[in-house]
Amino acid sequence: MRNSFFRILILALIIFSFGVLSIYSSTYQKEGTAWQDIHKRQMLWLIIGLACFFIMSQISYRRLWDFNYFIYGVAVFFLFLVFALGVIRLGAQRWLRFAWFNFQPSEFAKLAVIIFLAKYFSRKSVDDISLSSSKFGVFNGIILPFIFVAVPMFLIIEQPDLGSGLMLLLVFVFLLYLTNVRLKYILILMFILMLPLPFFWHFLRDYQRQRLLVFLNPNIDPLGAGYTVIQSRIAIGSGGLLGKGWLSGTQSQLFFLPESHTDFVFATFSEQWGLLGSSLLLIMYYLIIRQGFIIAQRTQDSFGRLLAYGISLLLALQVSINIAMNMGLAPVVGLPLPLMSYGGSSVLVTFIALGILVNIDRTRSVF
Amino acid sequence: MVRKRILNFLVILMFVALLAGLLNLDLLQGAKFRKLSDSNCIRLIAQSGARGNILDRNGEIIVDNKISYDVLILPQELGQLDRILGGVSRILGTETKELKAVFRRNYFSSSIPVTVASNIDLEKAILLGEYKQEEPSIIIQPRPLRHYPYGALASHVIGYVNEIDRWRLTKLEDYGYKTKDIVGFGGVEEKYDYYLRQEEGGLSVEVNHRGKFMRVLGFEPPSNGKDVQLTLDLNIQKIAEENLSGRKGSIILMDPQSGQVLALANYPNFNPAVFVNKRTRLIAGLFNDPDSPLINRAISSSYPLASVFKLVTASAGLELKKINLSTSFLCRGSTMIGARKFSCWDVHGQQDIVSAIARSCDIFFYKTGLLLGAQNIHDYALKLGLGKALSFELPYETAGFIPSPLWRKINKFQQWFDGDTANLSIGQGDCLVTPLQAANMMAVFANGGYLPNPYIIKAVGNLDLVPKRKKLTRLDFKKSTFETIRRGLRLVVSDSKGTGNVLSGLDVKVAGKTGTAQVPHGATHAWFAGFFPYDNPKYVICVLLENGGAGHTASVVAKQVIEAMDKQGLI
Repeated sequence: MRNSFFRILILALIIFSFGVLSIYSSTYQKEGTAWQDIHKRQMLWLIIGLACFFIMSQISYRRLWDFNYFIYGVAVFFLFLVFALGVIRLGAQRWLRFAWFNFQPSEFAKLAVIIFLAKYFSRKSVDDISLSSSKFGVFNGIILPFIFVAVPMFLIIEQPDLGSGLMLLLVFVFLLYLTNVRLKYILILMFILMLPLPFFWHFLRDYQRQRLLVFLNPNIDPLGAGYTVIQSRIAIGSGGLLGKGWLSGTQSQLFFLPESHTDFVFATFSEQWGLLGSSLLLIMYYLIIRQGFIIAQRTQDSFGRLLAYGISLLLALQVSINIAMNMGLAPVVGLPLPLMSYGGSSVLVTFIALGILVNIDRTRSVF
Repeated sequence: MVRKRILNFLVILMFVALLAGLLNLDLLQGAKFRKLSDSNCIRLIAQSGARGNILDRNGEIIVDNKISYDVLILPQELGQLDRILGGVSRILGTETKELKAVFRRNYFSSSIPVTVASNIDLEKAILLGEYKQEEPSIIIQPRPLRHYPYGALASHVIGYVNEIDRWRLTKLEDYGYKTKDIVGFGGVEEKYDYYLRQEEGGLSVEVNHRGKFMRVLGFEPPSNGKDVQLTLDLNIQKIAEENLSGRKGSIILMDPQSGQVLALANYPNFNPAVFVNKRTRLIAGLFNDPDSPLINRAISSSYPLASVFKLVTASAGLELKKINLSTSFLCRGSTMIGARKFSCWDVHGQQDIVSAIARSCDIFFYKTGLLLGAQNIHDYALKLGLGKALSFELPYETAGFIPSPLWRKINKFQQWFDGDTANLSIGQGDCLVTPLQAANMMAVFANGGYLPNPYIIKAVGNLDLVPKRKKLTRLDFKKSTFETIRRGLRLVVSDSKGTGNVLSGLDVKVAGKTGTAQVPHGATHAWFAGFFPYDNPKYVICVLLENGGAGHTASVVAKQVIEAMDKQGLI
């Protein structure tokens, strides 16, 4: 039981330290103390994140069941706040400015939606461990939860943050698949979602269309929208088998690679540590996610199980979409790499999620 | 539960796909991306070495290099660029706008540094060097340029340097020549370009995404070209050019014992510096000048040898025993050959071989020539090195031409008449000889029977070429033949009625032969070919003045040259 706690903690810390090394290597040469201290800020977030991790691992996850509407409400409230501020200031906005840091409600919303869905599909009392979803019809099984997901999703996409918005949708579909909702319904839902895709094109903003086109062929605009993908592919590829060595990555350190400490931190890492380092990183991500699945599988409580699956899936999807986007295998959407990318909200939410995961494993035996 | 297993499988599949993507990028396409990454951030700054110097026989510099400075800037972001160009313009005193225009004109690609100013002087280069501490993206590049301390001196021997042309490039590409290379044209610069040529070295520097200089990665020093030492004597060359000045023609001085060319002067000449400074108008003037100053007249132009050719007829006659020392012909000022009257330039009376050479009697040689026949004269001319290329070391040598009955029959389908033989025996008609060939022939009479292979390169780099030269060719003539002709040549000068009597006033004993070549248009060409001192010849001199009048004028020029050499104690 304590095993999963340490395993997850140690894996997370190793990955995180890789992240700090990469962030340092890509920013230490930039001018201005704000840039040069960025790795220190990330360490500060780690301390706060670890505190959250310990707290969440101590508080029983069943409390989340009780507060679930509240959590959902707060998340939607913050998202709405961002939306409203964006309208007032006539500009795009993804974050709320607190005293000394920028808080990104969309990160928090991902977790909130997972908690809400886990609760929704195991609506019965604590004593009833079975899923209620097997008795659901179309409305209760698909339409109602979709509406609950669609509200924050719409607000996030409007920010505009297509990546995080679609992430919610993906997690929803996967969780739906794990419940006892009939496969037929899920397929119908997916079909309905696919139907308006051609029209969806018109709702995309110009830069989003550019990114999609560039994903199909980065060379149509090598200095514009395609630049990041081209440079990131060069960074990863030029690393070769063993990489160029720490602090010797020319792509990231000479600033050819934009966003080298946030969304494209994987390319920065891969350039310096090569195929060997990158595959090691991939394996460690997989081990964390596997831990999550194992915890989910041995949890009898349906709420805990769905929650654990949801958290692991969120992690798995974000990691693979981000890395695929670094390698040019997925269109560029603004998704951070959990535990590696610089960003307080992402670090905080990831550690909270891992804390919940550990707690599920710890509390499991009570029932 | 099946769904969970499928989900588990899906996640594994995703990671395997990512791993495959990594393998593809890192291993399969790794080399390509490595190259792309290097070209992103590595800039090469070429630095050229100095072309080899050209020296005279005593090691005095004829052509060397002087360092000029170029200012280059690594292409980078506009704002940054404006600031740097502003700084550079403050130091150079040129307008920023102008510099910007130059930058735009010379900009080729973002990975190649751009020249914004060239040929700046040392003082400004030092000031810019200080400014470079602030803006490391400025490159100050020393560039050695050809420097000609004596201007046009020996310009035809040296040649000039210029940007490689298309024709040379296609021929020389395999030897590492590139577009925009500076290569030699004409003279030693062309013929020995491969040795004179410098090797390019350079700097590789790392830049960031804005093109800003970050650090130096490596440096390969450029290497200089090899020096080429000529057999020319700078002092004699100067004397020759001074005395030729203003008259079209050429003067050659040669060592008869070795075949080394000591001076080779032509007029009109050119200043090779105009090609270095890219004075387009002057260059065009050189190419369009009807007097063709770029032609090396000493080897690339041929003229009728006129009376100097009589030495060929004389040696053939003596060798083939058609005449001997006691043979004499009466000169009455003219003679009939066939139905045509051939006249002499004077009435000489009874002439033997020695006095006929001394006074250049045409009648004597008409008759000797008729006794010999044209083919024999042709053969002896070839034995004495006329009518074929000397394989001299400077480019664009012409072979000259000695006609023969056979040649005329084959090529012109025409008969050869006795009149033609008579014309040939005094070096007129189709006979064409370069001044160098004339000097070379005179060397045979100076050294008593050895035909030299003239050359002008003494050493390349540290390699002394003199011991490797071909030995002089011994001509199997009788000793008496040379003695007789030498006596005649001396009499040309010493006899009061000799055609070269003007040279008799010198302290040095000179021997030689004058010539007056008739040409279809304009004044006659004036020849003088001779050697001195008579008893122990050290120099062969050949003077040709294009449309210079009678042979007398050439011997006057020769006299001035020998006088000046004597004054400088060179003899």
